[in-house]
Amino acid sequence: MSAVRLHDLTLGYERRPAVHHLDGTFGLGCATAVVGPNGSGKSTLLKGLAGALAPLSGRVDRSGLKARDIAYLPQDHGVDRAFPMTLGELVTLGLWGRRGLFGAISASDRHRVEHAMQAVGLAGFEDRALDSVSGGQLQRALFARVLVQDARLILLDEPFTALDARTTTDLIALVKRWPGEGRTVVLVLHDLDMVREVCSDTLLLAREKVAWGPTETALGGENLLKARRLSEAWSQEAAVCSRDHAA
Amino acid sequence: MSALPDLADAHFAMPAAVAGALALAFGGAPLGVLLIARRMSLVGDALSHGILPGAALAYLLAGPDPVALTLGALGAGFIVAILSSLLARTGRLPEDAAFAVFYLSALALGVVILGRSANSEALLGLLFGAAGGLDATGLIVSAIAASGTLILLALFLRGFLAESADPVFMRASGLPGGLLHLLLMMLVALNLVAGFRAFGALMTVGLMMIPAASARFWARGYTGQAAAAVLMSVLASGSGLWLAHSLGVEPGAIMTLCASALFAVSALTGPNKGLLQNLPGRTHLEG
Repeated sequence: MSAVRLHDLTLGYERRPAVHHLDGTFGLGCATAVVGPNGSGKSTLLKGLAGALAPLSGRVDRSGLKARDIAYLPQDHGVDRAFPMTLGELVTLGLWGRRGLFGAISASDRHRVEHAMQAVGLAGFEDRALDSVSGGQLQRALFARVLVQDARLILLDEPFTALDARTTTDLIALVKRWPGEGRTVVLVLHDLDMVREVCSDTLLLAREKVAWGPTETALGGENLLKARRLSEAWSQEAAVCSRDHAA
Repeated sequence: MSALPDLADAHFAMPAAVAGALALAFGGAPLGVLLIARRMSLVGDALSHGILPGAALAYLLAGPDPVALTLGALGAGFIVAILSSLLARTGRLPEDAAFAVFYLSALALGVVILGRSANSEALLGLLFGAAGGLDATGLIVSAIAASGTLILLALFLRGFLAESADPVFMRASGLPGGLLHLLLMMLVALNLVAGFRAFGALMTVGLMMIPAASARFWARGYTGQAAAAVLMSVLASGSGLWLAHSLGVEPGAIMTLCASALFAVSALTGPNKGLLQNLPGRTHLEG
């Protein structure tokens, strides 16, 4: 059984593909890194997987996963730091998928939130206002929210950017546990050493698939060179994609 | 004789004015806190102008009928709220620009309609109000607005807060953010309509937003800020009404000025980022 299958998927903005004609499968309980140069469509792909961006063509088969089964942590997380909310309340938002608009938050829910905050090293920070914590602490809280969501598909877009070494190490340890729990994880990463440490599979992207498979194979030198060449092929005067006509 | 607020009639009925002000405090101030938290402080101002053509058209067609005035204002406020929200949701225009387009158009339409009735005092009355305008119909509308707002806020507060704090996450989680946003805008319009005949469209916005801004200096979380905003609004309204009655002037502007004075006190002495909290030489904590 596959977690997420892509069928000739093209994603983009105003008819321009950010990534096109992707076919492949993110295996169940597998951690896959999405790697590629800047502008290669990595974040766009995650948006598409999360359902936050409709395909220009093709489709994403999520094998029946609903919005509540998906945890998505975008690169620009969009949290308004000035909003009158505590870290504990932010993490509690992770219960949204299960409790909805009107469901009561139970004692076990509160325990779950506390446990998640402990797991990311934020015990005692429950009542801290969003504007009184550091960027790293906020990122830890967003990870705690992912834990609370208890999702089957977890999408993380450059989750360790601008974090210190200790925070990164702590959070990587969390991520490495998820495939063993049967969760499917897709991470956008730039650090190839980290990719090799965390992810069994890698999708090398340069606005189209360059390589997708076991990490060591996908990150071969020839593939990385090809990815760099392809990412530089963007053109303001691009013609209509010929593969669309052939399809 | 016009049933629109008469600027010369300062001998307003105090009990009705107090009831109207209390309703506005309990309904409007918590909404003001949400608007400020969502960085939409000027949306109330925009909507207050947006209700003018509806009230003006009702005045032109039905004369000084309070029910018609209220329905006209409410209809116009809802239309501006819906159109602005829809346009902003398409992503083609920032929300403040969408509101600017519709409220300025609505204001111009209101001026043209009132121009046809050759009654310039009516426009002033709509903008600045008079407590004499708060009759039985006005009180019923105020009561409905306040109780309806509190009930809907209690029901949907988690959604309002979630959608405001992290719209990207909540959209991915399947929250109907657009509908919640529209509901919030309609509640703002309802409270403005409830207050405009007594205190004026512009002054009602002042009583909604200034206490909400003051509340940020007294509490960190939404609930604390909403409670502080209601208290500030009650204090401003009470002192403003008393002063207006003593001086024999219209209450809307005096109440707003009282809210401004409370804001100054809050900004100076409030425990949450008040100016006196950051004086040089203050001791700091260990952790």
